[in-house]
Amino acid sequence: MNATAKTYQAGEIPGVIAIRASDCKGCDACKRHCPTGAITGAFGATHSIDVDACLSCGQCLINCPFGAPYETADSVENVLARLQDRTSTVVGIIAPAVRVAIGEDFGLPAGTLATGKLYTAMKKAGFEIFDNNFAADLTIMEEGSEFIARARGAVFGEKGAHGEAAGPLPQFTSCCPAWVRFVETKYPSLIPHLSSAKSPQQMAGAVAKTYGTKVWNKPADRLYTVGIMPCTAKKLEASRPEFNQAFLYNRRNNTAAGAAYPDVDAVLTTRDLSRLFKKLNIDLAAQKDSAGDTLLADYTGAGAIFGNTGGVMEAAVRTACAVITGKELTPLDFRPVRGLKGVKSASVTLCDAKYNQDVTLHLAVVHNIAQNIDPLLRDVLAGTSPYHFIEVMNCPGGCVNGGGQPVYGNGSSWLGAIRPWFAWN
Amino acid sequence: MHHELLILKHPLRVRMFHYLLIVSFLPLAVTGVILYFKPFGESAMNLAMQIHAAAGAFFLLAFDRVLLFVKRVFTFSLDDVRWFAVLGGYPQKLLLGRKISVPPMGKYNSGQKLFGICVLIGGAVLIISGLALWAFPHLLPRAATAYLGLLHTFFGWLLTLFLPVHLFLGVYMADDFKAMILHGRIPLAEAREMSPCWVEKEVIALSENG
Amino acid sequence: MEKQSLSYIENQPALSRREFITIGGIVVAFLALPVVWIRTIVASNNDYIRARTKGLYQDDARAAVRVSHANKSVARYYREFGGEPLGHLSHELLHTSYINRTKGLVS
Repeated sequence: MNATAKTYQAGEIPGVIAIRASDCKGCDACKRHCPTGAITGAFGATHSIDVDACLSCGQCLINCPFGAPYETADSVENVLARLQDRTSTVVGIIAPAVRVAIGEDFGLPAGTLATGKLYTAMKKAGFEIFDNNFAADLTIMEEGSEFIARARGAVFGEKGAHGEAAGPLPQFTSCCPAWVRFVETKYPSLIPHLSSAKSPQQMAGAVAKTYGTKVWNKPADRLYTVGIMPCTAKKLEASRPEFNQAFLYNRRNNTAAGAAYPDVDAVLTTRDLSRLFKKLNIDLAAQKDSAGDTLLADYTGAGAIFGNTGGVMEAAVRTACAVITGKELTPLDFRPVRGLKGVKSASVTLCDAKYNQDVTLHLAVVHNIAQNIDPLLRDVLAGTSPYHFIEVMNCPGGCVNGGGQPVYGNGSSWLGAIRPWFAWN
Repeated sequence: MHHELLILKHPLRVRMFHYLLIVSFLPLAVTGVILYFKPFGESAMNLAMQIHAAAGAFFLLAFDRVLLFVKRVFTFSLDDVRWFAVLGGYPQKLLLGRKISVPPMGKYNSGQKLFGICVLIGGAVLIISGLALWAFPHLLPRAATAYLGLLHTFFGWLLTLFLPVHLFLGVYMADDFKAMILHGRIPLAEAREMSPCWVEKEVIALSENG
Repeated sequence: MEKQSLSYIENQPALSRREFITIGGIVVAFLALPVVWIRTIVASNNDYIRARTKGLYQDDARAAVRVSHANKSVARYYREFGGEPLGHLSHELLHTSYINRTKGLVS
C-alpha cells in the first residue's frame, strides 16, 4: 500500500493501474486519454501514474500502443481457489458490457451478444449467476424514484418521507466509480448532486448476501461474490470500506457470526474472466447457450443497455415516464440519448398525473469525461445549467469501452503473431 | 603541382543535400539509440526526444533531391549480383591486402545502391511513422500506432547499423570523401578505376574555353 | 599552389519527361499510400465501440420486457424482502454516501 497516498480510505486499493517503465516509450498517447492528468513524465521519458489523482479508469491501459500500463490488482487466482473450494458458493455478477465484448478474446467478432455462451461457461467454471442487469433494473427503481422525488420537490415543493427537503438538481448518476471518484477528488461541492443510489455492482453484492441467501439457500459467509466488470475502477469501488452493508444487516439480524465480509469480495475484469476460462480450458466460443437459473438473472431490456452511453438515461426515462404519467413511454426507444456525441441532450414534457400538471425535464448524457465534462460542470457549479438529470460515464462510448474490456486488436492479429520474432521488442 | 584531370562528380546542390542528411541523421541515430535503451533520467530522456523530433524535421527537408537519385539506385544488372558475390573487393583489400577484379560499376557501385535504397525507403518510413508517433499517437487505433512503432524501430535500427559501414567506407575511399564533403571533384584516374561504366558513358570533356 | 582545375563533367544527368513522370508517380504513390491508410483507420477507430453498443441495443430490442418497473423478479424482490424503492431497507442496503477526498484522508 502506498504510504503517502492521500485520497484513499483505509482498505481501498490505491494504484490499480501502474505503468511498466521498460515498455513505456514516453509518446504521451496515454496523457490524452487521462481524465485527470494523473500521468506524469516528460515527453520521451518513461511515464508514471500519480495515484492520488488517478481514477483507475483504465483508459490509459486500453489505449497505450505499447501495452505499458498494467493492473496491479489481480484476483484470478483467488477466484479460482474459491471455485474449487467446496465450502464456497461463488456468485458471478455479470455486467451488461461484458457479454458483448468477451467473445473477442475467443475469436468472435466485436459486439457479438454472447450471453448464453457466457452463462454456460460460467456454470462450467462453477459460478452461480447473478446478472448485473437485474441489479441495473433495481438501480432504476431506486434512482428513478429518487429523481422523481427531487423533481417533484423542486417543482411542487414535495418533501421526503420524514419531512426532509428533496436533494438538489441537477441529479447526477452514480453508477460509474471513476466519475464518483472524480467528483470526490475534484468537485466535492457537487457531492449532494450525486444520486445516493449505489452502482448496480454494489447493489448486487448487498442483495446477494442478504436476499440471495434464500435464493441459493446458503449462509452469507459462504457466499463469495465476484463482480465481472468491463471496468478497472470497479476493483477500487468494491474495496471501499463502507460497502459491507450486507454484513451489518446480517449481524443486526443475528445471522452473521465471525469476521466481517464486504458486499463484493473480488472483481474480475472481462480480460480477467477470459484468462480464468482459458486456465480452465473453457472455450467460450464453443459453448452452447443456456439461460439463467434464478430470478437474480432475470433482467429487462432497460437493464441491458446500461453498458452504453445514454443507456442509463434511456432506462430511467422509460420508468420515470410511466411513474409520473401513469402511461408507458411510446415508443420505448429514446433515440436522442443514443450515439457517440460527447454531450447529448433531450427534453421530455410529461403530464404529472399526481399533480395534473405538465413538467418539462431537461436531460443530458455525457461520456468521455476527459474531453467533455468541464463545460457541463462549470455551468452546474455556476448554477446556470439547464439540466435536471445528467448521466455521466467516464469512458468514451460508455462501459462497453471500459478499461477492463478486451483490448481491441483492430484487425492486426497477424502482427501479434509475428511480434515475438523480433527479440529486441 | 602537376595538372590533375578532374571530374565534377557531386555538384553543390548534391553536396548540400548530403550535408542536410548528415546534420539530421547523426543526431537522429544517436538520440534514437538513447530512446531505445532508456539509460538516462527524466530530463535527459526528454531532451533526447526533443532533439530527435527536431532533427526529424530536418530529415524531412532533405528529401527533395530524390528523383534523380531514385533512377540511379534502382537501375540493376547482373553485375550487381557479381559485385556482392565478392563484396566489392573490400574485405580482400582491407583484411588480406589483396586487390581482386570487380565487375564494372556505374556512378554508384552495388553496395552504394543498396544503401541508397535503404535510405530512400527506410527514410520515408521513418519520416511518416515518426511524424505520426510524434503528432497523433492517441488518435490512431492503438494497434496501428504499435505497428508504426515497430516499423520505426526496425528501420531505425537498419539504418543505424548500416551507418558505420557507410561512414567507414566513405572515409576509407579518400578521393570520394573529398568529392562529397569538400569540393565535389574526383580525379579521372580514380573514377576510371571505380566507376568505369560511368566514365565511359556519361562523362564528357570540357572544352579548353570552359 | 596551382588551383586544380576541372577538366570533365557529367553529361547532363537529367531525366526524360517519361522517366520523371514514372519515378515521380511512384514516389508520390509511395508517400500517399500511408496517408490514405492513416485516414482510413482513423475513421474506423470507433467501429468496435459501435459494434459492442449495437449488441446491447439488440439485447434490449429482442427482450420480452423492456422497462425496469415491469421486471417481475425485481417486484418479487421488493415484495419478499426489499420493501419498496427508497424505503427503509433500500436506504440501508442500496444507497450510500460519498466522501470529500480533497481533505487528505489518512490511509
